[in-house]
Amino acid sequence: MAFSITNACIGCNACKLVCPQKAIVSGANGYAIASHRCNECVGHHADPQCASICPIETAIVNAEHRALNPPGSLTGLPTERNVIAISLLEQRLSNHTNHPPSHGEGHAR
Amino acid sequence: MEQTQTSCKPSGTMPTGTGCSSQASDDSALGLKLDDGSLSAEVVNKVTTHPCYSPEGHKYARIHLPVAPACNIQCNYCNRKFDCSNESRPGVVSKLLSPAQGAKRFSKVKERIPQTNVVGIAGPGDPLANPAATLATLKAVALAEPDVHLCVSTNGLALLEQVSALKSAGVSHLTITINCIDAAIGEKIYPWVYFNHKRLRGRQAAQTLIDRQLAGLKAAVAAGMLVKVNTVLIPGINDHHIEALSQELKNYGALLHNIMPLISDPAHGTYFGLTGQRQPTEDEVSTARQAAGTNMAQMSHCQQCRADAVGHLGQDVDLNDMASSESEVDSSVLVAVASKSGVLIDQHFGYAQSFAIYRVSATAIERTEQRTVGQYCVGDDCDAADSRMDASLQALSGVKHVLCSRIGMTPWQALEQHGVMPSTEYALFGIDDALEQLQSQLLENGQLQAVPSTTIKEAM
Repeated sequence: MAFSITNACIGCNACKLVCPQKAIVSGANGYAIASHRCNECVGHHADPQCASICPIETAIVNAEHRALNPPGSLTGLPTERNVIAISLLEQRLSNHTNHPPSHGEGHAR
Repeated sequence: MEQTQTSCKPSGTMPTGTGCSSQASDDSALGLKLDDGSLSAEVVNKVTTHPCYSPEGHKYARIHLPVAPACNIQCNYCNRKFDCSNESRPGVVSKLLSPAQGAKRFSKVKERIPQTNVVGIAGPGDPLANPAATLATLKAVALAEPDVHLCVSTNGLALLEQVSALKSAGVSHLTITINCIDAAIGEKIYPWVYFNHKRLRGRQAAQTLIDRQLAGLKAAVAAGMLVKVNTVLIPGINDHHIEALSQELKNYGALLHNIMPLISDPAHGTYFGLTGQRQPTEDEVSTARQAAGTNMAQMSHCQQCRADAVGHLGQDVDLNDMASSESEVDSSVLVAVASKSGVLIDQHFGYAQSFAIYRVSATAIERTEQRTVGQYCVGDDCDAADSRMDASLQALSGVKHVLCSRIGMTPWQALEQHGVMPSTEYALFGIDDALEQLQSQLLENGQLQAVPSTTIKEAM
């Protein structure tokens, strides 16, 4: 029974500061959870602390590799791919309304 | 100042007794009154020797030490993948420092710029979500240079319990970012806060933050700190609320109010940026400052510094110029272009089977080769996404910039992690046009060397 940190982690160090088990280790290879220390905060707090402060969706997963903060749960943004690109493109198109896209941007999602 | 009939607020009554002009340039008249005897000599001295508290402080320089990466709240104008986009402009991720490295950087900068009399901690997260690192840094700096002004800039959530520690560390100037005092507004700005071992959301999160901010403000004022309040002006969200907010700030004893325009460039990947929340116009900022100016002295010369800014306000010193070791400036860079037509930037990153590689230098743009890659997306099945991403990264080896029409969030992040900057800014531009624009942008940012390398860097 232990969580782990995925490579979505941005290394903000917040989890390390709040972990009651001091289970979070960091180094040149980023952040990781020492599985023998992690008890998923059972007996400490109602909610696992790392996952309660982590700002990045999918950065912390349980033993079944399920994200404790799934996509969209923290930012409220649909983290469908392309969200950045669609937004940028829309902005550009609204700036250049006389310049409609004629090329097959056929993969909108 | 002349009273005009121009409405200074979207609606409601005109403020009385205060000049109300539509001219943005008159904002400076709303600043602190230093000569009317209402402030003690000590406060006047602390204000006029700080570049952020008074335009008179411009001859002094400041340094922000990036020692505080963790944050305890999420703001919709911030993307934690970058630095906070309002307190510290994003685009380049700060190199974090340990408290000891922070104190060392301060000493080096002080040698180079002796007018550096202000040391602030502003992030890149929230300083008080990293109390140990923040306090250790402040103490180390004060030990090296007792006369320096110590500042902290916080969201206020953890302020109440840290006020006495900050006071004893010698913090004289405190900035709290308070965007509203109404939780109905706050829930549109803060999706969550981490408080008392729980992630709170919605109205409860906003109310908790506001309560803690005001309690912290009161305690900091009582402890004798000069408190400046920053407010990010968000059109349609808190712009109608500025006067009520400033009234409350006055009641709580804040010294100075700094209303800053929202930065919502979609390229920063913030919630506001990606959902089309617009930035305020200059007039709207001016109007808000006039409205708040009836209650609070206004700061209107804010430069919205990064959490690792160094030097005089508005004339940041590039720390790379101070480092002798590695230069960040290239004489040329490789740029990969995703194009279906071969003329326009019209290919989705995930569907690109090959990239045209260009070498861009200060004086030339030349096509070097076409590199083939495995596709990252095939239909909707992205199970093998990781291995395809690896193939793309391999093909892009040595490349600094990728220009494409679209790209997903995941590959965007993967590229960034490998030091490749993806861009959809030039979607549907002609390739030649785009490369010329990129070239001038790189030259402007100093990422591309305009002159031979031997003349560029001076060792520290």
